[in-house]
Amino acid sequence: MRKLPYLLPYLLPLLLAFLLAGCGKQESDLPVNTRLGGEFTLTDQNGEPFSQAALNGKVTILFFGYTHCPDICPAVLARVAQVYRQLQEAGEADQVQPVFITFDPERDTAAHLKEYLPWFKANIIGLTGSLEEIRQVAKQYGVVFIKDQQEQDYLFTHSDYIYLLDDQGRVRKLYPADFTIDEVVNDAKSLL
Amino acid sequence: MPRACFKFALVAAVLALAVPAHAELTFSDPWLRAVPPVSPAMAGYVTLNNDGEEPVTITGVSTPAAGHTMLHDMESTGDGSRRMVHLHHLEIPAGESVSLAPGGKHLMLMKLTEVPAPGETVEICFHLKGGKDACTGFPVIRQSQTDG
Repeated sequence: MRKLPYLLPYLLPLLLAFLLAGCGKQESDLPVNTRLGGEFTLTDQNGEPFSQAALNGKVTILFFGYTHCPDICPAVLARVAQVYRQLQEAGEADQVQPVFITFDPERDTAAHLKEYLPWFKANIIGLTGSLEEIRQVAKQYGVVFIKDQQEQDYLFTHSDYIYLLDDQGRVRKLYPADFTIDEVVNDAKSLL
Repeated sequence: MPRACFKFALVAAVLALAVPAHAELTFSDPWLRAVPPVSPAMAGYVTLNNDGEEPVTITGVSTPAAGHTMLHDMESTGDGSRRMVHLHHLEIPAGESVSLAPGGKHLMLMKLTEVPAPGETVEICFHLKGGKDACTGFPVIRQSQTDG
């Protein structure tokens, strides 16, 4: 106890630092996925080059699909739209960006994406490009897509994960197509 | 007597025509997922109930809203991807139900004549082995409880 007065000049700054640390931004505990992701440049729904770097500064909800898909892809789009709406209600949607990348550039042209995506009312950026460009991005994100010729048309066999990226473009979490809205909302908020 | 027989036959014929659907196949919770007006296809879901004592086999599906309608199932390929498989027929055992639901079996409406809007109802008919049809209305829904 006698030494306490002498220790105070050292203890007080430490105590202050400890208290201030609790007031700062809480880091998300979502781990960084170092195997997936990376930079890319595709074409957006306005026909303009779009670089992945343009997403830095925002949390990105990224998913792959095609507009001729009747089941999984519209369902995912609808769920992502719900996530976006919940974030809007919380006043945080301006920091979150949904992005849809097609693996059917033949039919999903920039013009078609521009007509298709606004209906979901989630400010979704639609990206297309050459098949080679899309194959490269799909590879970066571990996406599988295989053209499957059917009787009347062609469909795709494809993986259907949704990717949550932080404001530095790093993949932080993957979700299945039937993800829980609240889980994605809460995870996105943890990255803001 | 011939007049009585004729009347009986007439009443029986009218009653037969008045039956709106196959007596053994009923429908629960039919719905179509609403899609953008520029969509080329949309999916339909329903639970098919066989209330009879014999299996019911669906051999095809059609609707005036689409140029081509198919029954599909989803199968996993083992590498994290899934693909749609055309079901040429679907058998529902007696007393059982089969559910067409998101991520699983579903109806695929293609070559849409005009994309139906949320709130509209589309009649879809299931063609059964034996020549009969079973039809019901599918409301178009923008957001399903299964999306939550």
